[in-house]
Amino acid sequence: MLQMSWLIPLFPLLSFILLLLFRKSKSESTAWIGVLLTGISLVMSIGVFLAVWQGEGIKTEGTWFQMGERAITMGFEVNPLNALMLVIVSLVSFLVHLYSKGYMHGDDRFPVFFAYLGLFSFAMLGLVLSPNLLQLYMFWELVGLGSFLLIGFYYFKPEAKAAAKKAFVMTRIGDVGLFIGMVLLFWQVGSFEYDEIFASVKNGDLSSGMLTLTALCIFVGAVGKSGQLPLHTWLPDAMEGPTPVSALIHAATMVAAGVYLVAAMYPLFQASEAALTVVAVVGGLTAIFAASIGLMQKDIKRVLAYSTVSQLGYMMLALGASGYVAGIFHLTTHAFFKALLFLAAGSVIHAVHTQNIEEMGGLWKKLRITGPLFLIGALAISGVPLLSGFFSKDEILASTYADGKYGLFWLAVIAAFMTAFYMFRLFFIVFTGEARGETEKGVHESPGVMTFPMIVLGVLAVVAGYLNTTWFGTFLSDYLAQGAVELPHGDHHGPAWIPLVATLAAALGIALAYLIYQRGTLSRDWITRSLPSLSDVIYNKWYIDEGYDQTVVKGTRGLSKLGVLFDRYIVDGLVTAVTTGVQRLGRVGSRVQNGQVQSYGTAAIFGIVILLLIVALTGGYFS
Amino acid sequence: MNAWLLSILIFSPLLGVLVLMFVPSSDEKSIKWLGVLGTLFPLGIALVVLSAFKMGGDELQLTEKFSWISYEVFQSKGQVSYPIFYEIGVNGLSMVLILLTAVVSVLAAIASFSIKQNWKSYFILFFLLEMGMLGVFAAQNLFLFFIFFEITLIPMFFLIGRWGYLEREKAAYSFLIYNGVGSAILLIVFVALFMKTGTMNFQELAYTFSLPQAELNQLFITKGFKMGMLIALLVAFAVKLPVFPLHSWMVRVHVQAPPAIVMIHSGILLKIGAYGVIVFGAGMFPDQFKSLAFVIGLFGVINLLYGAFLALTQTDVKRVLAYSSVSHMGIVLIGLAAGNTSGMTGAVFQVVSHGLISALLFFLIGALYERSGSSELSAFGGVAKRMPILAGVFLAGGLASLGLPGMSGFISEFMAFLGLFEKMPVLAAVGTLGLILTAVYVLRAVLSITFGAEKEMPESRDLSSSERVPAFVLLAAILFIGIYPAWLNDMLRPTLDAILLGLGG
Amino acid sequence: MSAVPLPAYLMLALILFCIGLFGALTKRNAVIVLISIELMLNAVNINLVAFAKYSLNPGLTGQIFSLFTITVAAAEAAVGLAILIALYRNRKTVNVDEMDTMKR
Repeated sequence: MLQMSWLIPLFPLLSFILLLLFRKSKSESTAWIGVLLTGISLVMSIGVFLAVWQGEGIKTEGTWFQMGERAITMGFEVNPLNALMLVIVSLVSFLVHLYSKGYMHGDDRFPVFFAYLGLFSFAMLGLVLSPNLLQLYMFWELVGLGSFLLIGFYYFKPEAKAAAKKAFVMTRIGDVGLFIGMVLLFWQVGSFEYDEIFASVKNGDLSSGMLTLTALCIFVGAVGKSGQLPLHTWLPDAMEGPTPVSALIHAATMVAAGVYLVAAMYPLFQASEAALTVVAVVGGLTAIFAASIGLMQKDIKRVLAYSTVSQLGYMMLALGASGYVAGIFHLTTHAFFKALLFLAAGSVIHAVHTQNIEEMGGLWKKLRITGPLFLIGALAISGVPLLSGFFSKDEILASTYADGKYGLFWLAVIAAFMTAFYMFRLFFIVFTGEARGETEKGVHESPGVMTFPMIVLGVLAVVAGYLNTTWFGTFLSDYLAQGAVELPHGDHHGPAWIPLVATLAAALGIALAYLIYQRGTLSRDWITRSLPSLSDVIYNKWYIDEGYDQTVVKGTRGLSKLGVLFDRYIVDGLVTAVTTGVQRLGRVGSRVQNGQVQSYGTAAIFGIVILLLIVALTGGYFS
Repeated sequence: MNAWLLSILIFSPLLGVLVLMFVPSSDEKSIKWLGVLGTLFPLGIALVVLSAFKMGGDELQLTEKFSWISYEVFQSKGQVSYPIFYEIGVNGLSMVLILLTAVVSVLAAIASFSIKQNWKSYFILFFLLEMGMLGVFAAQNLFLFFIFFEITLIPMFFLIGRWGYLEREKAAYSFLIYNGVGSAILLIVFVALFMKTGTMNFQELAYTFSLPQAELNQLFITKGFKMGMLIALLVAFAVKLPVFPLHSWMVRVHVQAPPAIVMIHSGILLKIGAYGVIVFGAGMFPDQFKSLAFVIGLFGVINLLYGAFLALTQTDVKRVLAYSSVSHMGIVLIGLAAGNTSGMTGAVFQVVSHGLISALLFFLIGALYERSGSSELSAFGGVAKRMPILAGVFLAGGLASLGLPGMSGFISEFMAFLGLFEKMPVLAAVGTLGLILTAVYVLRAVLSITFGAEKEMPESRDLSSSERVPAFVLLAAILFIGIYPAWLNDMLRPTLDAILLGLGG
Repeated sequence: MSAVPLPAYLMLALILFCIGLFGALTKRNAVIVLISIELMLNAVNINLVAFAKYSLNPGLTGQIFSLFTITVAAAEAAVGLAILIALYRNRKTVNVDEMDTMKR
């Protein structure tokens, strides 16, 4: 089984190629090509995962090309971490393919959408299977391409065009960091292989400054991809893509790749305390920062997008606080409940054809399947006990506390409170109360191809938490402990009051949302009224986009304009100078050419005289 | 047969000229088809040459050498004879470039279908140009190199000046003046080298200059002389490459020349500059080259960033691509400056890769111009709706240009930067800013053409089947190199190893 | 005979040549220019004859060569005058300054 695992990414690639060939087909059964081929990938991934669960692993490589004495290799590797990722990616990909069959019904470019989904799945699975940094980087960029194409799927919409471009460029900024880190590591270690890098790190071949530098560069890549501060602005805009895409790429898989990267390079980060601290601080700040923006957004997908940013911040915080297992655990559970939430949101949008929550309401009665599933997702993400999010979030809090990062711990608790609040704000506004807007007519539940994937994810969102609990067994951490990465030792289960605090924070958030949006006990705009300037800032996403516009974008454009002027007046001026110079010279020459034989003769005589003089003075040949 | 193969290849475009002589100049259709056939013939021979070429050999192959001109000079040291031979041959590097030339010429000939007038003289000049390019890469001595180098200039001048757009004559003149100055410098250098060493052969020259300084002193070759020669050579080829601040003629040519000619120009002629720097600069004066490495790297980074910054706000897509060429040639310099295996490989990969990518992009712009009559970015929008294939290939070309993995652009950028990071990490880190800017300007140009609301265009048919051939062939080549670089790498390795040996690592 | 030394011949030739050169380059009348050219040729003849007599191994080569020169000069003068007359018939001038049709 394991020897065949390189085939896993190739099925979606095949789907991409086939569907591109069928791109003109009007038949929507073309979707089954994609569903079937990702289904095969899913089955194989589960097979691989089970094999790894029993302690197997594989790494195969071949020379890609030879650079001097050094061979650049390509291949695949299966270890516990990436086997888990394989299952997550191929499962969500499969479910999203299925869901899209219903969601994209009636679109002009139906097969193209599935082709792009295939391309993305190929790249993401390839990324996960990579045994070295270079290969990871290549797929990393291809994943970005998939994301770019899908965000820009509605290419005729100016917002989609801008969002696609922004996503590509912002992640490219991060990618360059990863690129620098990778190349620096190569010259330190002499290889892109994870194993060799880790061996050198272990042997102490790298100076501590270099360790921190490379780790931070690689982290910049993760920041870009995972939408962490300060490169997060592309992720909410990426919601311009079709909703299944948001579920697949911008919730479950690609944005988690940053977390995966840090996890995969964990020994490097472990070797540098400074780098870990930066990871934790960036993660913690992102978690609370994005959560605060999520409190006031009006677009259902944007709320979820900021929630994603915030949860990714949690994962980074966990990794930075030596909570390796906690980070991966949250990645897993988050993939399920956030994909569920997005798909449910997609189902809502599909029903009411708007994304503005103020035009929704009272949908609970009309969407009998979507509503409860959304509730499950919201409960899970809020960290309500017994659901998956509770366990993973608890573990993150515990490891942060155990690592001694108390400030970040309390930030994370506040973020948890905010999470619960904005999720239930969303829930109450959308599903309860009276129907608002004019769209309530003709609202109906989505078809089976859409509800089935949601149900599967709903079940997983409930049970995935039991992968790693102190009550039934720490399966996940035992499993991950087989991996090449040496897990940080020590007790990560902090004091027993931590789960209580977490639960309390969640309960408070839910209760507050209930009081404001369901009972109406508290006026909806009491915060806005009491703190107008703060709420204005939060509503406008802390003016980060505007800030970038004013500084980076304007600066670059200004520099470019300056360059254009420089080119026009100085460089082109040089050209004009040269050409007019040549012309002037020509005119002087033509004046000499006056047609008078006698003046030619004079010139010739003078020439001869000069030559003779030279010969006479130097006494012969030139040398 | 083999003994003459290379000469046959070089002069094979002349067959096309010969045949065209007998076709009436009003017969548009057969002239165009003969134009394509006339370039297919050299391509066929180039493939034969490729099959006769033994991969992995580091010596010159398929060499031909005949005595050509010889004269004696009485000097203080006695009678010295100065023989000039007709000598040609190929190594891995020139084989690759010859192949690139043959392929791009065919595709450019297909793209020339859109030429509106004077087809006969157009194709005759086109064939002469192709002969010049093939000769430049096959020549094995300075004299032949120079002759073929000059042969490329004259047809180019007329091709730009007669078949270009509005300001074509100005563009043609600045092309001629800049390149004329460049080749004048080149001529002086060549003559000086010839007078000092008495030979014009590349290998003999390289050998002579690798002699210890004590022996060189007898030939009156000082270190200063070598340095001067190298700098003069670098300046001469910097005009061709082009290097900031000598680039503005090239922008004009890119904007004003007909698309098919820009394919050739940007795809191959610019590469003569890179080829020259590699063969004459790094190959003949390795020590001096190394001591100038930082300057070259600096110019590389300046080129990269300057081109990228200027491409950001251009409103004409041809100008965007012209500055992008400036930027991409910076990567060649970066790789050369690194002077290690990866850097050199990256530089040569970039030469090939940019040749293919820019040929593809200019081809598509030609196709777009034919449909809309404009190349202003604001004239386009939503092309993806009516012309999905054109838009798709254009996007793919743009992505290749910004260095997406899986395409040839990535390999070259990666290798060049990998090399520079070993030698000059700080400079390289500054240069990586260019990677971001490249993404910005490429996406800006590509998206504003293909995405967005659809704008009216006089014609909106997708690529016709004769247009698909060049587009798909180039795209396939870009993907092939991107996915399986080992093939190209194996071809180049012996040549590059020999040069690297001189550079000492 | 031998009283006249070689430098004297050469001086004479030089003076003649310079006069001829001056005339050929400055005179505006084409006839004078032609005459000046004859002067230069004769200066060369003197040199040839002088060297034939006084060089390290004297011989007749120089004298014979000067005979050839005289012949050629005569032919040249004939052709030159013929052209001049043709030109005069067309342009009614023998002024060298006005003969710049190549330039026009």
